[in-house]
Amino acid sequence: MAGDRLRSFLGGSGLGVDILLGEGAAEADPLSADSSLVFVFSPLVGSPLTTSAKFAVVSKSPLTQRINDSLASSGFALAGKKTGHDAILLTGKAPRPTVVVIDDGEVRLEPAGDLWGLTNQAAQDRLRDRLGSDFQVATIGPAGERLVRYATISHDGRHAGRGGSGAVLGAKNIKAIAVRGSQRTPWAHPRELVELAKRLSDKSFGPATAKYRELGTATNLLAFNRLNVLPTRNFQQGSFAGAQAISPEQLSVTRERTRSSCVACTIGCEHLYGMQNGDGKVRLEYENLFAFGPLCGIDDPEIVLQACKRCDELGLDTISAGGTIAFAMECAERDYIDEPWLRFGDGAALLRGLELIVSGQGLGRLLADGSRRMALEVGHDSIKFAPQVKGLEIPGYDPRGLQTMALGFAVGARGADHNRSGAYEVDFSDAVDRRNVGSECVPLAIETENKAALMDSLILCKFLRGVFSDFYAEAAEMLHLVTGWDTSADELRRAAARIVTAKKRFNILAGWTPAEDTLPDRMLRDALPEDARAQLSPGRLAALVEAYNRERGWTREGFIVNEIG
Amino acid sequence: MQVAVELFGIPRARAGLSQAAAAGSTLGDVLADLARQFPPLAETCIDGRSLRPGFIVNLSAERFVTSPETPLSEGDTVLLLSLDAGG
Repeated sequence: MAGDRLRSFLGGSGLGVDILLGEGAAEADPLSADSSLVFVFSPLVGSPLTTSAKFAVVSKSPLTQRINDSLASSGFALAGKKTGHDAILLTGKAPRPTVVVIDDGEVRLEPAGDLWGLTNQAAQDRLRDRLGSDFQVATIGPAGERLVRYATISHDGRHAGRGGSGAVLGAKNIKAIAVRGSQRTPWAHPRELVELAKRLSDKSFGPATAKYRELGTATNLLAFNRLNVLPTRNFQQGSFAGAQAISPEQLSVTRERTRSSCVACTIGCEHLYGMQNGDGKVRLEYENLFAFGPLCGIDDPEIVLQACKRCDELGLDTISAGGTIAFAMECAERDYIDEPWLRFGDGAALLRGLELIVSGQGLGRLLADGSRRMALEVGHDSIKFAPQVKGLEIPGYDPRGLQTMALGFAVGARGADHNRSGAYEVDFSDAVDRRNVGSECVPLAIETENKAALMDSLILCKFLRGVFSDFYAEAAEMLHLVTGWDTSADELRRAAARIVTAKKRFNILAGWTPAEDTLPDRMLRDALPEDARAQLSPGRLAALVEAYNRERGWTREGFIVNEIG
Repeated sequence: MQVAVELFGIPRARAGLSQAAAAGSTLGDVLADLARQFPPLAETCIDGRSLRPGFIVNLSAERFVTSPETPLSEGDTVLLLSLDAGG
């Protein structure tokens, strides 16, 4: 790929969006043969830099009809880069279930009839038995095959999780991508790069990552609960009486716990907990825990772990699965749907709901489309409490108590998302009053969004962000040592803004309107019951969004008027 | 003045408990007292009268503060937690 294009968009999310814009993907139906989906690596993949073994999957989302970039880690990134490609673009549709095999420079299609219907891990195991253990494999599960709009792409127990890229592959009849390569990309300054990588690894063992390493992300739960920003029972409350029972602090006492990490990562944030039914261990992250715990009113950790495991197997995004089921629970309790078995706090109902999603039968057909589409089918103005922005279910941060994050959710190109905007960092600081933010939060929110865009394009894990003292300058040095480019911090700042703008351009081409940059009505009308000061209003959020658009140099409505040079 | 302290995440792991009491009329005083009571907590989270990078205090689930000179009032609860919230 041409060096100037790589330098402008780097890799990962940024390069993926640029490739899709070139393919005209914004106008296509993401579940049609006309759609495009691209796996993207980056200049840093394969380098000794910790956490750099990552890849992005970028497409138009079947859940939101807007840009979707989801990231995952481990050997697939390394092997994919070694095939000698910066990206793997898939267009068209296979006539029958198919595996795409990329073996160094050779590309071939193989039948996947025997894999269709298998869970992710089973399909990956069978395919590696067939092709050889030196292949790395990314698969869709049954959810992707059945076009669940929030189906994932899985590799080695990790998922390109949000936005339904698994359904885009399923619509193309692609069950798996298998990659093997032998081409090592040379580094421009290998000795200096190895030294820098060692310093970065050393810093990654320090206090900035201790929370992730020692406790895992799930430890957010009790702190969020205390601050009344833990979304509970479909965002009807901000705290959960059962939080202690499902907290990792409690699980560590009652269950076996082990740690794991992605390939080429020194942080090791993954914490796996043993299941009491003897069915192995399950990785537990904060978002899974929130989505299947408080959001659905579940205080039984065994149910939460079972739900996480089942989503891994089926290939379901846990946030959207939990959010859509929680929404359905509220609809059922209001008698908007005739499903009397579906109640908050009922673990069996949660697990049954997950199976229904993939069955495509009855209620499952509605659940498989996500909360926004389901609300439009159910009626009763239930869209007002569907927990989504642009169709993407909201992660575990109540925006009424974290109002910079409310802005980040509202303007997010892929919808409500905590990985594309780190605006909660602003709320967790003394820079703003998190329950009454004003325009002072806007440049701070933009900075977290830009930084995320750059990290997702380099690609580096965001859990490293606390170890950098001057992120843009340090990132420029990394790129220089790997590629030889004379990259500067300012150049990377422009690249970050360029990538955010490219996502916006994609969305505008896909039909974006300013009215989308908002939150569900519930969050703009009702204060959190535990905290009367945690209240937003339509006017205040609109003012923040307008200030955001102006700060970006766009029109007040959010249309692009400037190009990033 | 004695204030109630609640610890979350790494601070809880270092102190070995979820709740404590500390003396002081400013945040710095309270942090220094916590450091005296819990040396492992000081090693990771507290530097003298200040928070180490990566940690933050919230007062009574209301507002986040970092300045050691922040005055405390009767009835305040000091929540000590890790700064990074992502996951």
